[in-house]
Amino acid sequence: MAGASIGDNEENPVAINVTAMVDVIFCLCVFFMCSLHFRQLEGKFDTWLPKGKGSAGVGDSVIQEIRVAVYWDEPNGRVVRQLGNRMIANDEELQALIAEAHADFVKLNKPDTPVTIDADARVPWSEVINIVNICKRDQIDKIEFAMGAGPPQ
Amino acid sequence: MSRRKAPTVKEDVTCNLIPMIDIMFLLLLFFMLSADMTQREFEDVVLPSADQVQEVPKDKTAGEETTTINIYHRPDSATFTCPLYAHGSLCRDPSHWIISVRSAEYTPDTIRDQIRNEAEASLEAEVDPEAGKRMSARKVIIRADHMAPYGDIQKILQYCGEFGIYKIEVAAAAPTKA
Repeated sequence: MAGASIGDNEENPVAINVTAMVDVIFCLCVFFMCSLHFRQLEGKFDTWLPKGKGSAGVGDSVIQEIRVAVYWDEPNGRVVRQLGNRMIANDEELQALIAEAHADFVKLNKPDTPVTIDADARVPWSEVINIVNICKRDQIDKIEFAMGAGPPQ
Repeated sequence: MSRRKAPTVKEDVTCNLIPMIDIMFLLLLFFMLSADMTQREFEDVVLPSADQVQEVPKDKTAGEETTTINIYHRPDSATFTCPLYAHGSLCRDPSHWIISVRSAEYTPDTIRDQIRNEAEASLEAEVDPEAGKRMSARKVIIRADHMAPYGDIQKILQYCGEFGIYKIEVAAAAPTKA
């Protein structure tokens, strides 16, 4: 392609040699193609912290909440979930139980009763997000994170 | 009769480069505009998937001071490999997990000072009557790997609460449509 130019040399004495420009544009194209990164579509869950309370605890008030405990079962290498005293087998069961418990609080005129996720520090983050997701499916927006969980009873 | 010579046609075979240059300019423009130069803020993290996650429009968050905290597993390299994480198992070695803010790496303990600095850099003008102190207007976005230990996220939430950051968002990936 050496000597490629725009314009006929005979008609137009001022011909532009574009070879160098094409080379540079090729290089730039290759650079930007290689650096192109298709980002995964991601969204966010709002989890605003309470201003007054922080992580200082709930004080002497009677705890009214839907508490989901999540433990890491080390010997079996799996996550164990518990709502109250009941062990949860799958997501559908958990969703149904949370919806049922929330409906009970709505009947008692306490629709703001939170779902508290009380997870062990070793639990994978995806398990916690999964419970947040289940709560959102049940139209529950008030979700709290407990700090630390004891061993299973 | 004199023999007539057949007229010879001089063909000048030249390559017309103008359409090619036009297309290449367009390609270059496309790649330049789609190049995400803000990736330093967002590390490559395998986010947990959630179907209820909401995509936040960019214009809604424009002008807001945000800090993105990435929590991810140290990637495999020539000198480092983690067979557990590579095979999708749970890795709970604390030295394998990185907490990063704008490409700077921290541990669950050293991130505390960084969060304090971030919080103090954008304190609200007035004392919040509920909290009794000036809260931070900064928003913290937590982008944690799906296998990240919840304990690390707990610590970040705890530090945020301690230093008056109350606007927290956790990132999750929208499931890919089949």
